[in-house]
Amino acid sequence: MTTATANRAIAVPAVGVRIEQVNLSYGDNHVLKSIDLDIRPGEFFAFLGPSGCGKTTLLRLIAGFNHADSGRVLVGEKDISALPPWKRDIGMVFQSYALWPHMTVARNVAFGLEEKRVPRAEIGPRVTAALELVGLTGLDQRRPAQLSGGQQQRVALARTIAVEPKLLLLDEPLSNLDAKLRVQVRRELRELQQRLGLTTIFVTHDQEEANTVCDRIAVMNQGVIQQVGTPKDLYEQPANLFVANFLGTANIVEGRVIGDGASRAFEVAGGLKIPIAADRKLAPGARMVFRPQDCAIVGAGQSAGPDRTEAAGTVTYREFLGASVRYGVRAGTASIAVDCPFHAGDTLHEVGTAVTVAIATSSVRFLSD
Amino acid sequence: MTMALPAPRARARLSATPGQIALALGIAVFLALFLVWPSATVIYVAFTEKGGGAFTLVNFADFFRTDLFLRSFWNSFYVSAMAVAGASILALPLAYITSRFAFRGTALIQTLGFLPLIMPPFVGAVAMQLFFGRNGSVNLLLDDAFGFKIPFMEGLNGVIFVQSIHYFPFILINLSAALRNIDASMEEAAQNLGSSGFRLFRRIVFPLAMPGYIAGASLVFVKVFDDLATPLLLNVKDMLAPQAYLRVTSIGIADPMGYVIAVVLIVASVAAMALSALATRGIDYSTVQRGGGGLARRKLRPYESVLAYLTVMLILLLVLAPHAGLLLLSFSTVWSFSPLPDGYTISHYARIFGESSLYIKNTLIYASLAGLIDVVLGTAIAYLVLRTRLVGRDMLDWAASAALAVPGIVLGIGYLRAFYGVKLWDGTPLASWIVIVLALATRRLPYALRACYAALQQISVSLEEAAENLGATKLRTVRRIVTPLMMGGMLAGFVTSFATAAVELSATLMLVQSNSDAPLAYGLYVLMQSAAGRGPGAALGVIAVLLVGVCTVLSHFVIERGRAMPQAGH
Amino acid sequence: MHRLLMLSLCAALVSSAAFAQAPTGKVTVVTSFAKDVTDPVKKAFETATPGVTLEVQNRNTNAGVKYLEETKSSNQVDLFWASAPDAFEVLKGKGLLQKYAPKASGIPEKIGQFPINDPAGFYFGFAASGYGIMWNERYVKANKLPDPKEWQDLAKPVYYDHVSIAAPSRSGTTHLTVEAVLQGEGWAKGWGTIKAMAGNFRNITERSFGVPEAVNSGQVGYGIVIDFFAFSAQASGFPVKFIYPTVTTIVPANVGIVANAPNKAAAEAFVEFLLSPAGQQVLFEPGIRRLPVNPDVYAKAPADYPNPFKDPRLNSMIKFDVAKSEARNDVVDVLFDQLISFQLDSLKAATKAIHEAEAAIAKKDNAQARALVAQARELIAAMPVDEAAASARETASAFTGGKQKGARQAELEQQWAVFAKERYAQAQAKAEEAAKLAK
Repeated sequence: MTTATANRAIAVPAVGVRIEQVNLSYGDNHVLKSIDLDIRPGEFFAFLGPSGCGKTTLLRLIAGFNHADSGRVLVGEKDISALPPWKRDIGMVFQSYALWPHMTVARNVAFGLEEKRVPRAEIGPRVTAALELVGLTGLDQRRPAQLSGGQQQRVALARTIAVEPKLLLLDEPLSNLDAKLRVQVRRELRELQQRLGLTTIFVTHDQEEANTVCDRIAVMNQGVIQQVGTPKDLYEQPANLFVANFLGTANIVEGRVIGDGASRAFEVAGGLKIPIAADRKLAPGARMVFRPQDCAIVGAGQSAGPDRTEAAGTVTYREFLGASVRYGVRAGTASIAVDCPFHAGDTLHEVGTAVTVAIATSSVRFLSD
Repeated sequence: MTMALPAPRARARLSATPGQIALALGIAVFLALFLVWPSATVIYVAFTEKGGGAFTLVNFADFFRTDLFLRSFWNSFYVSAMAVAGASILALPLAYITSRFAFRGTALIQTLGFLPLIMPPFVGAVAMQLFFGRNGSVNLLLDDAFGFKIPFMEGLNGVIFVQSIHYFPFILINLSAALRNIDASMEEAAQNLGSSGFRLFRRIVFPLAMPGYIAGASLVFVKVFDDLATPLLLNVKDMLAPQAYLRVTSIGIADPMGYVIAVVLIVASVAAMALSALATRGIDYSTVQRGGGGLARRKLRPYESVLAYLTVMLILLLVLAPHAGLLLLSFSTVWSFSPLPDGYTISHYARIFGESSLYIKNTLIYASLAGLIDVVLGTAIAYLVLRTRLVGRDMLDWAASAALAVPGIVLGIGYLRAFYGVKLWDGTPLASWIVIVLALATRRLPYALRACYAALQQISVSLEEAAENLGATKLRTVRRIVTPLMMGGMLAGFVTSFATAAVELSATLMLVQSNSDAPLAYGLYVLMQSAAGRGPGAALGVIAVLLVGVCTVLSHFVIERGRAMPQAGH
Repeated sequence: MHRLLMLSLCAALVSSAAFAQAPTGKVTVVTSFAKDVTDPVKKAFETATPGVTLEVQNRNTNAGVKYLEETKSSNQVDLFWASAPDAFEVLKGKGLLQKYAPKASGIPEKIGQFPINDPAGFYFGFAASGYGIMWNERYVKANKLPDPKEWQDLAKPVYYDHVSIAAPSRSGTTHLTVEAVLQGEGWAKGWGTIKAMAGNFRNITERSFGVPEAVNSGQVGYGIVIDFFAFSAQASGFPVKFIYPTVTTIVPANVGIVANAPNKAAAEAFVEFLLSPAGQQVLFEPGIRRLPVNPDVYAKAPADYPNPFKDPRLNSMIKFDVAKSEARNDVVDVLFDQLISFQLDSLKAATKAIHEAEAAIAKKDNAQARALVAQARELIAAMPVDEAAASARETASAFTGGKQKGARQAELEQQWAVFAKERYAQAQAKAEEAAKLAK
């Protein structure tokens, strides 16, 4: 998949994308709400969110298939809001791949070049190069129906890259592939993007995909961008409950704030009580959030460290994951997931046994919706 | 940034390129010029007061006060509904057997199943009478053997019988297409959950094919509702379309009532179409397919095979009886009050041999031009409706579909009023043959439109977006992506328009101005006015059927080849 | 290519104008006649008049009239050629025909009681036709039916459901048949005869040719038709027979030159040809079989060819009053449609009941039952308008469309339909009562 010719044939200058105050409604349905976003040149960027959050709508808006009610989209400092799709120079790979069944692979890939009035003599080599880039050399005379899902996906990618777009949009490109292929293709995608230095936006509902492939992620929900940041930032410093819960597993525990000043604490009905640092501001209705790996099950009599808060509870379920074991522990009204590292020879806690959970106090955050 | 706001908003409201707007306007002008205006020149009388010419609705009140019209309305409704039922009974087994099972002769059946649509005027009914009439072959034999007769062709039941046979292909074609498009996994999922046989068909397959069925059924309903030739040839007069025709072509010509009925016909037809559109709105499950899709054709067990062949043969025997009768008639000397003709001859063919070449040439020119115009317009309208948010795009669709409901005779007179004596820019009069082509195109537009509409509906929008994304403009996308993918549907639309236009009479009869411009149907009409013309007329009818049949088979061949292409090399 | 043809035709027309007298070019005729009639005439005419081609436009009579009306602003038609004299009267009334004095000799002034040519000189009879009853011999034999002789015979119970007719509103020739009966027997009695016959109708067709077609193929036993339909069917080998009843009329089929005919010279030549002995003889063709109006031509007629100038039966026929017919033309048609065509089921039901009652009475006489049957017959025969009202301007103006104020066509029709429907129902009830009494 890596050859010198392929690299030279497809050379793209990187551009940034700026989205300013974009709003879009279908009737009463407000699909995008005041979206502001800055994507840096050469960045691999993800729109992540559950289905219906507006991520695909935003992507199609950038491609020119949806029109904003207000706001604008700038690509490389140029406002493209008024341009039709065919003048935007933005490549898009569709979720369904949208390969034209009446054309061969080669014709599919050549299409964009022909439409861009690339001289005839250049088209052939560029088609070959694009197919080579995605590792499909030799399949150029097949028709889409004769290809496997992974091959179709690569043709779609080759077709888009061949025209050397300023910006590459990927709409759930991995969703139609099986699990193993998905891991392989996402690595290839990342590699290709790095090599081309092409600004890329990737739409997905799968946090793992976004985390593994992308430089930065915009987490979206109900038409609103919840948070933008690197996968690490988002995981460590989620801005709200939605982000915390959507990226990785989080224990979210309801309770109430008691006391005040230095003795301020978050109390969960049934025992658990965690002190709150004086300088912390808590929004009303905030909940306590911590990751399963930031807590542990301690045996009776084991002393808790200084930075630990303990709570007594009962094991409600156990999931053996290999490297670790996840326990569900009910402590008062709270249901807490605890990840314990597993070493050969360890004994496991049985469901129903009484245990004590120790939570690393500094890892606890208090977040609201 | 605040300055930039108004521009996108305005764009969102208009939501169409100048090209699309121009296209829509062009179609609107065509429809206004060749459908609305000619019809209006005739129909406005329905709204005028006797003696003054002032606007009035009293004529519509008269309609609802007159027993005859109310009875006619009810009869038309009853016959149309029953014909839909009859046509369904004929079409369902054929469609199901040929599309769900590995069945030899599928292509043949689909082609033969199309033939009843090509029933030339007059001769078809004559042939039916000779077979199924009170003293037709079947009844004479029955009477001889068992002493009773079956009133196939009597009264409203006769109309239902003939119309069911005549129009069932509409359901067959649409239903077959819908059945073929059902994903095999739908059926497999149901089988997996324990459903099989008829229950599987009733609960999964048929509901999924429902949109296709409704499309066909509504077409049958509207056609039967508006058809005047069949009831009149069976001497049934108390139906709406015959009433309109009888009045407009005789004493009622100056009277508003004929036109009132025409308005009622148009409204009823549009209502039926709208209703079917409404009915399919929520249940159109067309799925975007990738890869193979389609349905699995099951192999038949031997006894099932025998049963299937018997069913198919029986239905084909029934629906092709008019054509068999026609063929027999074209070779018979005298056929009167006997199960079979007295003798056989080829002299009828000899007689029409010379003159038929002119008719054939004219028919081919007219019908293919009309079909071409229809496919272009149909594709354009379907595109505007399905792919743009142009204000009023549905109006184009409705207007074009309403052509189905404008009685041929109304359009014929309207064309005469609107275009007779019109001079072209260079002073030559607008040739009558051009007017005939336009009338045929307008009349058959709804058929092509529905076919193009269905074809476009099945193309995933993302295929077009992908092309635009790669730099193709709307126009280039249509040319390079949409048109090739729609080719099958467009060809089907062309064939339907072509085939039915080739045997159209009611509008052309009024417009033919010289024998040298006359199409086949007109030649038939002229022959079928005398005893000695019956045989030659039948011979001409056979030629018409063969001509259209050959064209149909050819285009089926082309369609099938187009379909087979993607699978090549497997 | 068509354009080229048009251009050359235009050129032909221009040249024909330049050489004024000798007829050349294309002459266009609108006709209701079938191809079997027009083809031999066309052939003979074009042979006899070199340089002229006859362009035939086939339309049924009503559509033809309508066509000339709609296109009069730039008329392209030279001749109108059809059977029904009424249609020519309508065209004449609308100024769509032009006068001409044929030069042909040997044609008498009248055939039977009917003037052959329009006295005003707008149209000319070229062939005669009489109306009568045609039947299929195989059908009659299979159903063991007797041969009819008069219109009244068709009203007999034995013919129930065996007779067919074309609607007079649709067929100029049938209209004349009905009018002939009405003039021959008088308004009230005539309608009585017609309705009594109509009670036996199997169906009422929409085209003139629908009747002979049904008789030829044996779907119906008897048809009320114009003679040449039967003669040409016989010539084609169909097992059919035909008779003229006493009360009928011989009416000429006509040809007329259209006002502003583009090729007047050739149009006149065609009229002259039709009236010439050569043209008259073409009528003997098996596919035509019409009666020439030149008595001398019959010398060359095939064997057993009817000769209206010799046949005493045909000579005793009634005098046909064209003016009277014209005045109530629409009214008679609409009456027939509303009282008979659109009420055929109830009329037949009543007629059948009467037949059954009469059969019962014949077995077992009952004075009261006989009175009831007589009442039933009267109810059926009753008319919503009398002869004077039918010809009155007020009635007729309801059918001429938007110009005059007055009753609307639909109103009158509904009145008449209700009138008939009620009486037929009463008649049926009375007849059924009579049948019960006679049991």
